[in-house]
Amino acid sequence: MSAPANPDSTDLDRLHAAVKREKEDLAPESQPAPLWAIFLLMLVAIVAGGQIGQMTGGWSFDVSNPFSVAGTGGDPRPGGGAAGDALDPFALAMKKGASGYSVCGGCHQGNGAGIPGQFPPLAGSEWVNGGTERLIRVVQHGLTGPITVKGAGFNTPGGMMPFGAAMSSQDLANVLTFVRNSWGNEGTMVTKEMVQKVRDEEKRATQWTAADLEPFAEKNVPGDIPAGPGATAAAAPAPAAK
Amino acid sequence: MQTNPSTPDTELQADNLRRAAIDKSVKGPVLFLFTNGAFWLMLSTILGVLSAIKLVEPGFLDGCPYITYGRLQPAHINALVYGWGLQAALGVMLWIMARRSGQELKTGKSLMITAGVFWNITITIGILAILMGKSTSIEWLEMPKFVWPVLLVCFLCFAWPIARMFGRAFRPEGFMVSTWYILGACFWFTWIFITANVTLHCLPNLGALGAGIDAWYIHGVILLFFVPVGVGSAYYFIPKITGQPIASAQLASAGFWTLAVLGGWTGMQKYMGGPLPAWMSAVGACAGVLLLIPVGLVGLNHHLTTIGKHNAVAASPTLRFVFFGALFYPISGLVLALNSAFWTGASLQFTQSWYSFQMVSVYGFFSMSVFGAIYYIVPRLSGCEWLSVRLIRNHFWFSVYGVGTIVIMSLVAGLQQGADLNDPGHWDQSFMNHVINSRPYVVSRAVAWALISFSNFMFLFHLLLMVAGLGRRSTAPTLLHREHDEHALPAHA
Repeated sequence: MSAPANPDSTDLDRLHAAVKREKEDLAPESQPAPLWAIFLLMLVAIVAGGQIGQMTGGWSFDVSNPFSVAGTGGDPRPGGGAAGDALDPFALAMKKGASGYSVCGGCHQGNGAGIPGQFPPLAGSEWVNGGTERLIRVVQHGLTGPITVKGAGFNTPGGMMPFGAAMSSQDLANVLTFVRNSWGNEGTMVTKEMVQKVRDEEKRATQWTAADLEPFAEKNVPGDIPAGPGATAAAAPAPAAK
Repeated sequence: MQTNPSTPDTELQADNLRRAAIDKSVKGPVLFLFTNGAFWLMLSTILGVLSAIKLVEPGFLDGCPYITYGRLQPAHINALVYGWGLQAALGVMLWIMARRSGQELKTGKSLMITAGVFWNITITIGILAILMGKSTSIEWLEMPKFVWPVLLVCFLCFAWPIARMFGRAFRPEGFMVSTWYILGACFWFTWIFITANVTLHCLPNLGALGAGIDAWYIHGVILLFFVPVGVGSAYYFIPKITGQPIASAQLASAGFWTLAVLGGWTGMQKYMGGPLPAWMSAVGACAGVLLLIPVGLVGLNHHLTTIGKHNAVAASPTLRFVFFGALFYPISGLVLALNSAFWTGASLQFTQSWYSFQMVSVYGFFSMSVFGAIYYIVPRLSGCEWLSVRLIRNHFWFSVYGVGTIVIMSLVAGLQQGADLNDPGHWDQSFMNHVINSRPYVVSRAVAWALISFSNFMFLFHLLLMVAGLGRRSTAPTLLHREHDEHALPAHA
């Protein structure tokens, strides 16, 4: 890092020119700060305070949800853990089934009335209110061919598709409980264990026909139903489906 | 303050000689740091272009494992932070502290050069290790474990003499305004660096908390090292060149202490809603927004100091860079606040806006301020003036447009990515679709890095000529816009 041997490196006036033309260091003044700036900074402090108000989870090392409020168990999502814990099994199944029904509502309609001549109704249907075994099998594996519901004949091309592969036993049970207890229907709850039992027994890959299912028409899948309104028939008024 | 040879002012002459002697005493280490830093900056910007290209076109130069995106991006950032950022910062810190304290660097010069050599060798090994796939995968600490103790010792070889200069100095009124930032940077970096490395490398089973500590480290290095060095040099050079005293000593003091208190509290908000205790993110978010206060105080002080004197910005290269660096400071504060607050952070989290914050602070604010400092310091050390107005002007404009593009594009890309990811209407879109949607922004990033590479090529070339003593032989400074009324301009730069 030694200086190169410039021919004019002894020209001290030039070498120190940068230093010589410098201005001296100045002491700072004490001008007042404008009032609007102080107000702006107060605004910043208020916004910043909003970040710690409710978001701290009570300063607990065990709470990682910033929106947690005491008493909800820490999960604020609709239908999330906290909301579910507060409901009995039947009400929970109805609530979750109502949102699961949005898949069925495309054909069977939100009011469960179906479309005459195209899609059979669920409200007041003997297929829904009858034995749970037949109902589970229809939804699990699908159904094709002519069918009579509430005295009217239906023969939808392609029939009803099987939903078993796409839904968990719990989701399927929730939807069936909802269907059996809405629009004036009253029936026992369908549990996850019941759906699972049918799934374990029946592994067919093709849709049912109405005739195939005749033997199951009045059979109920055995299984424990949690005590409460769903054990016999609906007691609570059914919520409207979306 | 020109001296008139016909009426010799002996006191002024003595002061000039004293300052010239100080400059001479720090010449070796400072020029060493600047030159090596400029080389790393050059490399970092080229890696930045490559990694942006790889993000758009993953098939580019396929089959070469050393330049996959996952290796290029950390290599790019580490070269920028440790190769350029820390070295250039240490050079500026050493020079300003020596000048402000009036202390010559008497001993430890060879130790500094040795530390500088070790620093560069270590980073070279570290970045090669990243490119060969030995990264630790800890953001900003990707270089292998053994690198960190060496870097710490090398840093202390510079920081300790700087702190000693402060300790020995006679402190007139206003002495603190720039020097306390420099002194703070010496201690804060040491503290943050030791804490982060000990916790991340020595404590087992940190889990998610390790990610939080890493985010705290990145914010700490930016807010408690790069920001103080940038603000400190702005506080030194703006009054020095404009001849205007800093407007308010009280604002300067408040700005420093609020930064000192708040800087270490932020970082964990990067993982808001994540598996960390909620209060950690909440405190980080609160501090991230509150940091607008020190940012605002410093910005206000600069505004009050320079209001009505902006014509000097056109002429002096130093002032131009420092002034635009100081303009980027409030912008970096705003980007930090946007990323931190829960309201906006919910969208901006884990998007390109994170890159926007890093670049606006490390390049837009810190590097631009340091370029200004280098344009001021180097002529005093090398004994010649900057060679070419055009090179300086090109360096300035390509840098400003380049970094401006990166910051704005990354922020807008972040807003769009975040809004798309949170939109329930996009439930059937695959993640790849979101990545593809952000491609135009990354293309602009690649172009911007190419512009910056070009500007840094000119900067490096110019700096090497100066260090080799091949600059202009003149007593007049190299000013931009000389065609303007030359007699009205004060002799600055």
